[in-house]
Amino acid sequence: MRALKIALAVFVACLIGGTLISAQEGHPLKGSWLGTWGPAKTHSNDLVLVLNWDGKTISGMLNPGTDDAPIKNATLNPDGWVVHLEADVKDKSGVLNYVLDGKIENLSFQNRTIVGTWKNQRESGQLKISRQ
Amino acid sequence: MKSGVTLAFALVAVLLLGTVGSAHHPISAKFDDTKPQTLSGVVTLVDWRNPHVHIYINVRNNNDADNWAIELESPIDLQASGWTKDSVKPGDAITVAGITARNGSRQLWANKITMTGTGKEVLHVTPATPPALLANRPTPRWPDKQPRLGPSAGGAQGYWGFPTSTVLVENNAAIPMDQWGLLKNVADAKRVAPMQPWALALYELRQRRFLQDDPTYINCKPPGGPRQFQIPYGVQFVEDRDRQRIFVLIGGGNNNYRIIYLDGRGHAGQVGGDDDNPLYYGRAVGKWEGESLVVDTRGFNEDFWFTNGGLPHTEQLKLIEKFTRENFDTLKYEVTVDDPGAYTRPWSASWTLRWVTGQEMPRHLCQENRP
Repeated sequence: MRALKIALAVFVACLIGGTLISAQEGHPLKGSWLGTWGPAKTHSNDLVLVLNWDGKTISGMLNPGTDDAPIKNATLNPDGWVVHLEADVKDKSGVLNYVLDGKIENLSFQNRTIVGTWKNQRESGQLKISRQ
Repeated sequence: MKSGVTLAFALVAVLLLGTVGSAHHPISAKFDDTKPQTLSGVVTLVDWRNPHVHIYINVRNNNDADNWAIELESPIDLQASGWTKDSVKPGDAITVAGITARNGSRQLWANKITMTGTGKEVLHVTPATPPALLANRPTPRWPDKQPRLGPSAGGAQGYWGFPTSTVLVENNAAIPMDQWGLLKNVADAKRVAPMQPWALALYELRQRRFLQDDPTYINCKPPGGPRQFQIPYGVQFVEDRDRQRIFVLIGGGNNNYRIIYLDGRGHAGQVGGDDDNPLYYGRAVGKWEGESLVVDTRGFNEDFWFTNGGLPHTEQLKLIEKFTRENFDTLKYEVTVDDPGAYTRPWSASWTLRWVTGQEMPRHLCQENRP
């Protein structure tokens, strides 16, 4: 069941970000990102982020299609390319506030990555996602 | 044994080719002009192809030999300077003075080549210069007096080349940089255009990497935006008045074209079903305002650099371009860049291009994954 959810999430992300999965020379965060952020009890190991930039605000969706949650309070500090993202994910016990902090690596390359950490009220861990 | 050595050299040459993935690139992106080197060796191969000609030479190294790739200008530039593919041949002993590759591989950009035995200089590239003005010729016009952007009726062929600026800088401010847009001092980056912080940091990063990530040179991506009027080998306008559109043919890069519609259509849905498909050249609609063609272009994708030097842009980019043929030989190009995704306000620049009369546009083909 979990595998099905993951497959569905990736499929939806591809649908949403279909036009973005290509070379991208604009805002460094814009596009679809895929990777891992586990192990954890509260979510799967796989992470999909679809991010956008409107000139003022970074917006997007965390795991679109399954445990989807809109991104909020997102920032990119060009001094070191430091990324901060937040998202509220609902589960049986309420709302978990996820905070993701990381840094863009290999910015000049299409398969750039964000490496960092995540945490919510119960757990924390490492994350690594790559731009698709 | 001999065949084994030859095979080894060939493999080295292939490996060298494999490590360099850029096309017709700024020299500084690949070679370090602070590291001169002189080599003497025997020519093993002359690879006379776009975007850069290569000569491979064996250089003695104790009892062995190293195979070096000597990189030269494009066949077009070499031919313009009197070279042919037979100017040096396999077996010739030559001495090359040049600069070495930044990545430490056995590659050299040649500034000077001489025959080792005679000292005769065989490489002498003369930079192309604009043709001399014949006279102050008036702007050619259509029967309805509208200026023509292409050749005069029944007149000689020609194209637009030799832009007075090959870089995009707000109000043409004098900021030291080379023809490829590489700043002499990265600290000047913020003076180039009113960039948002992320765009400035990205521009500075591209500059510090000597523009080696430029997708126009790595992947032959089209030179969309103002860049089509900055690259070598010129542009040509084909005015299809019956169909109310202008084709801009681009001499360099991957030799493609842009369409400017003059039939009053909007930006969306120019080609059926492509509303959500941003384009390298965007969606361009134009109209004549007196002596000038004013073109409004939007709908760009983010897959390319829209100017030499690597200024960033986003899909929010909108360009207002004004083309004015001031006289027969001069085309004034003015552009206003409006991209709230990357810049803090709209900004402008301009330059002129020269009519290269009596000549066909050079045919230079970018070839992906060719150094």
